[in-house]
Amino acid sequence: MGTCNTLFGTLAALTFAGTATAAPVDDLLGTYQSQGAGPFSAERGAQAWSAEHRPEGSQARSCTSCHGTDLTRPGKHLRTGKRIEPMAPSVNAARLTDQAKIVKWLHRNCKWTLGRECTPQEKGDFLTYIRSR
Amino acid sequence: MNELEKTVRVWDPLVRIFHWTLVASFAVAYLTEDDLLGPHVWAGYLVGGLILFRVVWGFVGTAHARFSDFVRPPREVIKYLKDVVAFRAQRYLGHNPAGGAMTIALLLSLATTVVTGIAAYGGGEMAGPLAGWLSGIGDESKEALEDIHELFANLTLALIIAHVAGVVLASLQHRESLVRAMFTGLKAKVH
Amino acid sequence: MSPRQILIPAAIVATLALAAGLALSDEEFYERVTRDIAPVKNSTYATECGSCHFAYPAGLLPAASWERIMAGLASHFGDNAELPADTAAQIRQYLVADAADRAGIGRSVGFSRYDTARTPPLRITETPYFMAKHHELPRRAVQDNPEVKSLSRCDACHTRSAQGSFSESEIRVPGFGRWDD
Repeated sequence: MGTCNTLFGTLAALTFAGTATAAPVDDLLGTYQSQGAGPFSAERGAQAWSAEHRPEGSQARSCTSCHGTDLTRPGKHLRTGKRIEPMAPSVNAARLTDQAKIVKWLHRNCKWTLGRECTPQEKGDFLTYIRSR
Repeated sequence: MNELEKTVRVWDPLVRIFHWTLVASFAVAYLTEDDLLGPHVWAGYLVGGLILFRVVWGFVGTAHARFSDFVRPPREVIKYLKDVVAFRAQRYLGHNPAGGAMTIALLLSLATTVVTGIAAYGGGEMAGPLAGWLSGIGDESKEALEDIHELFANLTLALIIAHVAGVVLASLQHRESLVRAMFTGLKAKVH
Repeated sequence: MSPRQILIPAAIVATLALAAGLALSDEEFYERVTRDIAPVKNSTYATECGSCHFAYPAGLLPAASWERIMAGLASHFGDNAELPADTAAQIRQYLVADAADRAGIGRSVGFSRYDTARTPPLRITETPYFMAKHHELPRRAVQDNPEVKSLSRCDACHTRSAQGSFSESEIRVPGFGRWDD
């Protein structure tokens, strides 16, 4: 009885421990794959990061407009000048840990920068790129 | 028991509470200015309410609280002041003629300060009872109202300084504490 | 003086002091009495809306203005500020409940005024009260000042704006110093 409980408990702990440490990025990449995207590439993500767009005839925009080209350095909001903490998880441990936050910002910022939602492929490439910094 | 026979009640409780609350409210108003606008405005409203009370009380209050007790023609005030300078001023239970004149002057100056303050508040902050009429006024008018308000606030302060000097002088000349009397309400019957 | 003459005034003063102390220890009352604008109390609003700009306290615009802003988040002054529905609802509720025309504190009264014949202003900088207070500022202090750039950046000059204080004595314009008139 006792060993049974202990075994069950250990298995449960291992399972939950597994899901707790699984990165939200992996979850999202899995979702994108199930939508037909992949494989993902940090190099493609890096290129897309600097690509310029002119949605609705606006001035040229890219991710670098606010986040800069070096993800280990802070960025600055283009209009308000508000400081944006570095995107690179290597210097900012909080990055890519909150799935809801990732989804929200990809939604907003793709729409602002590209003028449309990013495709699952583009999102996967972006996340792979950011994660590598 | 002896003490009670020798003293007489001059200032009723309402007059005394009015006086010291006014001191506190004016102090708060003067010190907060518009650095702490909220407390400044509330202190100002309180001053306004206190003045209204005092005016009413000056007509229906206790003997020495009434204006009829201490408001004297200028001729008498000047004569009294001359007597003070000559160290032969008569002692009064209630306000002496100069004190009476000071009371009126302070009430008028405070009232003007309050009214101009409410006007400045309505024009400059677009708030308070006069906001509906004054919130559209121009910059010069706003500044003028603020300046007048400040002028009367400082005039009131000057009057207060003179008032304190007068209280100290009268206390010394008649060897009684007028400040204590404004706390306890009592003065010695015979002098 | 008899003991009674000391005790009664002392008792009155003590009671008043106690009442004042109790009243001021109530945070809402304290704020109502002392603040110019109630500081932001809703942490969702502070996090979400403060991520790109100064988290403008609700007391800086009338409720009708906040309603307009929350209804147009997809095009939020040139940015996309869309939010999940439940988050947006929470934020909207805070903004409307504590709006300038509901707050009743300090300078919020002034901020609540606008020409009701027109649509409610979207920008705080377009409210009559704001314009009256800021229109004397030279361009070199704000728009042409690289450290300020826009009147929308309250916290660039109002050093205690996050605490709800906009007192003139606390203003420090970067590159210029104090502002006093």
